[in-house]
Amino acid sequence: MAMPTSTRPKPLLEAEYCKGCLRCIDSCAKDCITQGEHVHPGTGMIPVILDLENCNGCQLCIQACPEPYGLRPQVVPESGSGEFELEDPASLFGPRASHLQEPVDHPGREVPISARQPLMLKGTYASAIGAILAGCRHVFGYPITPSTEGAELMAKILPKLDGAFVQAVSEVATVNMMYGCAGAGLPCMTFTSSPGFSLMLEGISYMIGAELPGVFVNIMRGGPGLGNIAPEQADIKLACRGLGHGNTQGIVLAPATPQEMLDLTRLAFDLSFRYRNPVVILGDGYLGQMAGVVRLPDTLTQPGLPAWAVWGDQEHRRNLISSILITEVDLEAHNIHLNAKYAEIEKQEQRAELYRCEDADIILVACNTPAGTAKGAVEAMRAEGMKVGLFRPITLWPFPIDAFKPLLSHAKRIVVVEASPGQLQDELRLALSKADLDHPPISSVQRYGGKLPEQVEIEARILKDFQLMKDARMMEEVKA
Amino acid sequence: MSVIYDHFERHSHGEGLKGRTTHYCPGCGHGLVHRDLAEVIEALGIQDQTVLVSPVGCSVFAYYYFDVGNTQAAHGRAPAVAIGHKRANPNSIVISYQGDGDLASIGLAETISTAQMGIPITVIFINNAIYGMTGGQLAPTTLMGQKTSTSPEGRTTDMGMPLRMAELIAQLDGPVYVERVALYDTKHRIKAKKAIEKALRIQVEGRGYSFIEILSECPTHLKMNPTETEAWVKECMEPVFPLGVKKDIVVEPWWDAAQTPNFDPDKVLAVMGADQEAPTRHAKGFPLHLGGQDISFKLAGSGGDGAQTAALLLARTAINEGFDATNIPSYGPESRGGTSYADVHIAEHEVLNPAAPNPMVLVAFNAPSLTKFAPTVREGGVIIYDSTVIEDLSTLPPLAPGIRMVGVPLTQLAMGLERPMVKNIVALGAIQAVTQVFPPETFLSTIRMVLKDKPALLPLNEAAFAAGLRHATLTPA
Repeated sequence: MAMPTSTRPKPLLEAEYCKGCLRCIDSCAKDCITQGEHVHPGTGMIPVILDLENCNGCQLCIQACPEPYGLRPQVVPESGSGEFELEDPASLFGPRASHLQEPVDHPGREVPISARQPLMLKGTYASAIGAILAGCRHVFGYPITPSTEGAELMAKILPKLDGAFVQAVSEVATVNMMYGCAGAGLPCMTFTSSPGFSLMLEGISYMIGAELPGVFVNIMRGGPGLGNIAPEQADIKLACRGLGHGNTQGIVLAPATPQEMLDLTRLAFDLSFRYRNPVVILGDGYLGQMAGVVRLPDTLTQPGLPAWAVWGDQEHRRNLISSILITEVDLEAHNIHLNAKYAEIEKQEQRAELYRCEDADIILVACNTPAGTAKGAVEAMRAEGMKVGLFRPITLWPFPIDAFKPLLSHAKRIVVVEASPGQLQDELRLALSKADLDHPPISSVQRYGGKLPEQVEIEARILKDFQLMKDARMMEEVKA
Repeated sequence: MSVIYDHFERHSHGEGLKGRTTHYCPGCGHGLVHRDLAEVIEALGIQDQTVLVSPVGCSVFAYYYFDVGNTQAAHGRAPAVAIGHKRANPNSIVISYQGDGDLASIGLAETISTAQMGIPITVIFINNAIYGMTGGQLAPTTLMGQKTSTSPEGRTTDMGMPLRMAELIAQLDGPVYVERVALYDTKHRIKAKKAIEKALRIQVEGRGYSFIEILSECPTHLKMNPTETEAWVKECMEPVFPLGVKKDIVVEPWWDAAQTPNFDPDKVLAVMGADQEAPTRHAKGFPLHLGGQDISFKLAGSGGDGAQTAALLLARTAINEGFDATNIPSYGPESRGGTSYADVHIAEHEVLNPAAPNPMVLVAFNAPSLTKFAPTVREGGVIIYDSTVIEDLSTLPPLAPGIRMVGVPLTQLAMGLERPMVKNIVALGAIQAVTQVFPPETFLSTIRMVLKDKPALLPLNEAAFAAGLRHATLTPA
């Protein structure tokens, strides 16, 4: 009886790639496939046995095989015996996952902008404008007071610039949309406030693990829990010490004026791409709402596309965005790499403003709106002849300890002014301790629950500290 | 298959057999769907556009195999990540590949909300009625009575009944194509591949969101051999999860795959409302007569009195004169109904402390505001109040020495213009007249600047300012 001939190739099975699941057996109408009997020594599986005498090349067995290199079509040589020939192992196991060339960085560019009049903007708006100028055209967010105005402005502006504002179903979805957009290599951001920031922490950890840039503007409100919507600074610990699970750190910027909301938002995009790491901007509710003079920079940024992006084109096809490293040695190596990055950031990115600190006996330490109030107190005390200065950390992590260190030669008291129960002070103390620095006594002015420290409270504390200084001096004189 | 890597170098560094075999158990349905998906991507010619989002679940390592752009997402968040990719590059073809725990349990909110957005992405949903990666626990799609490691006596109703995702997604308005398919025999495998192809084609053509649910086999955790599992899917799963097209509507292509963001500086500045022309300055210098280089104001009323707008205009006026200014509104529940107030500072050089606990100038639009803030006004300060609504000053707490009290009938003057809402602009006129902080021309040019897009409102506001100014000038302190 003549066998039916077919032009379609018959199946080929390399036994080591067969897991013996047997799903192919039922698919074959010609009963060519039978259950194997012998364990394959290389795999411990029992591969099926093919007898292709009756095979008509229907290939349904191939379609039934879950393994990509299990059953597959025979490669029929163009000439020769028609028998299957073994492939060259070098071509069988290619050198790379993908044969494509390494992608390259496509740098962005700075586009000059003509001189403009200063704007009068509230903090959240200033931050949004800063992001636009930094080249951000993708904003994801979920409404939460008191940060929502930033998102609202973006929702208004971005469609006019062919960008997108996407209101996500939650902060959890927000941060993961950012993960996708950042994974594609584009600058993106969100505006949120304390409870929303808590929800984003998981995603921030993933972004840090996958080394993705992104800017998080957290307009801090009163907590814990739902708290209230008045200003507080009690997310400093979260941003500096708790960006989600695992070994995480991110640069934390603390603007004090609407102008700085713009400037530091621009800087945040630059830093987040430079280090491939999320950057957090912490503002207090007051700063988010406060309007002030905002001058525009000379240029705007047209972003490029980094080599590592998963853009969805041929050049970037071989890329992978992932935070999984399933093998312990790989994950340890990744953490060592991250630690080196964190160390570099600690070395390079400390920023602070020193206001009348040169000769100060008492150094106030404050950030955000309380720094403005503290500045007022410095001026008032200086007018009374007291040597008071303000040290304002602009980066909370890394804490600008290098700039603080020289002040220790003349400072007799340190007063930390904050709208939190000592979270800024903890950052200062940790930085002093890590740098092995002796320091004068530290006192504090703290308000919570939506209250900011008032200038009179700071002045009262300063007067008290001057008295303590005097007492200490007298004690020393008595001893002498 | 060119869309499957020649060598799985991401699978344990591609060492040994792992360079050519998947991490899936024998007989697992994932391998079949991978094959179909790879073949469809190749057939549609979209390999260089495709971004595959791997979930958390057994297919967490889908990126080991597909030679496309790959992103690995957090548990349940794959569709959100997919939206991020699609928004970043509208020309990319984005596939969210998810299992039942990922899609129907932890990621339910993302699943539903992205489906409803209707943005063209393709969701491939592998439903095998059990958790695989974590070791055989109850899934949202586990059948009633089915024993799992977290339903050892079988699923009961209090654990929730099986969730039919395809039906749920199909009744949303966002998706254009939803189908449930299976893999348990040749016929159904052919249908499954066709469904995947159609779903991706819909995305390629920019028609919208598509969702393919695939009933799949998990022999390991169902504790059956692969052939028995196929039978179980057919006999036990299919009656609960009926196969077929659940939604298929014709939508014309609408997605703009060519959209690229605009970075034209003139366009950017225009949308920000940044002006090129400097406003004319009218002041001779900083109003030092008000008591220093930094003057604080408080404007207080109830929500709707316009205190916030007046404060903003006052600060803007100072900026137009080349000085520094800040404005902080009070906000929150208190501002909706209770007293709403704003603190304004104007400074010759720099505002240091933006709060105004002891203002130099208070404008009170109602009695509670006057009672609350009048005692905070500093020595030698000014209080302007709406004498239409505040008649009795006898109950006021004691004030600091040297305070000038000026009553101006703000509401009445505004009513005279038949627009009570402009009483805040009347107040601005009164502030000018009483304090001489800046010349009237500066205030008027600020008002014109703010209303440049609403010129019809200009005459009314100019009249309101003039009314406040005129009345306050005539009012003895």
